[in-house]
Amino acid sequence: MNPRDLDELLSARDLPPLPPGRVGQIERAVLADLKPVRPLAPAGAYLAGLAGIFIAVCAAGAYIAGQYGWLVLSDLQRIAVFVPLAAVAAVLVFSLVRQMSPGAKHTRSSALLAAVLFSLLLVGMIAVFQPAHEHAFVAMGLGCFRMGMIVAMPAAFLFVLLLHRGAAVSPALTGAAAGGLAGLAGLAVLEVRCPNLNLYHIIVWHISVVVVCMIAGLVFSSVTFRRWRSNQ
Amino acid sequence: MSRYQQADSAAASELIDRLSPQLYRFFAAELGNADDASDMLQEAWLRIHRVRHTYRPGEPLLPWLYAIARCVRVDSFRKRRRIASREIGVESLPERAAILGGAPAVPGFDELIATLPQSQREVLTLLKVNGLSLEEVARATSSSVGSVKQKAHRAYERLRELLQGAEAKKGAVP
Repeated sequence: MNPRDLDELLSARDLPPLPPGRVGQIERAVLADLKPVRPLAPAGAYLAGLAGIFIAVCAAGAYIAGQYGWLVLSDLQRIAVFVPLAAVAAVLVFSLVRQMSPGAKHTRSSALLAAVLFSLLLVGMIAVFQPAHEHAFVAMGLGCFRMGMIVAMPAAFLFVLLLHRGAAVSPALTGAAAGGLAGLAGLAVLEVRCPNLNLYHIIVWHISVVVVCMIAGLVFSSVTFRRWRSNQ
Repeated sequence: MSRYQQADSAAASELIDRLSPQLYRFFAAELGNADDASDMLQEAWLRIHRVRHTYRPGEPLLPWLYAIARCVRVDSFRKRRRIASREIGVESLPERAAILGGAPAVPGFDELIATLPQSQREVLTLLKVNGLSLEEVARATSSSVGSVKQKAHRAYERLRELLQGAEAKKGAVP
């Protein structure tokens, strides 16, 4: 059996005919609710919006919280932290822009790439920071975690405002990506602000901001989408 | 599509008339049940209507449309699975066994395609039943052209093996 025979077999399939009257029924349902809609803004506008929000939140957060962490970081540590962090943020922004409209190119592969880059960020951190014992591990860590979330929340709110018209087919992925991006803003501010270079502190209290925001985004978008569907 | 977005009723009707048979084939190819496919078609159009603003004029229409249809189908399968898990499925098993027992030696499209994993089945349906291009399938399924090619190739290999096996069996029967 050659590929042409297979093609013929696959194309010659008898499918049940479309029931008569069904298309008319659909037309009536659609026409009954026909109002003009404004198409989504061009991809460039979303790209600029998402990148602008991310940079603005990071800059404002770093300005308000202080730059004590930046001053104690070595050049190698700055590169190991901020280069992959910026790369993850950029890929997430591109992924979110693509997720806005169904049928866009490479929506999943770019989200996967962001996950890979985030893993690289973790590996880089493990390589350049040393573990140390801390007396007030939880008390100090909670302060950082709270600060990270305070920065991430307005970013997340602005992302929701920007993204709420799109993301019709994979809301969970969009929610997780938007949450992750907001969490990255929190992480960036923490890395600029926090002078604690203990690896355990960074992994547990700084990185957790990204993870928590990502999970929160996933849950929020899934629940919102389920409600939207049940109202249909 | 742009006229449909501007609430042009003639454009909306034309779009529904033109694209419904294609979409119906997409659902029917997977389900093989006219009623379910027809219900899903209606659900798909309501979803398309609801998110019609997400189409950007100038972008290819079919991947946009099938991405939404695919989402409707996945939701519908999940719903069916939830319902099925609550029901007692004993009655349906002997029926299926009886159908398979009486099947001809060379399997038909339904039997063949049912043996493929969902992702390969979907790619093959979009390519061969709906006539989409590799690029369109890649966009509709949120994957890359390379991945679509790979899935189609694997599906073909599997189908060829099955058909050759079935033909060998048929030849062995006196």
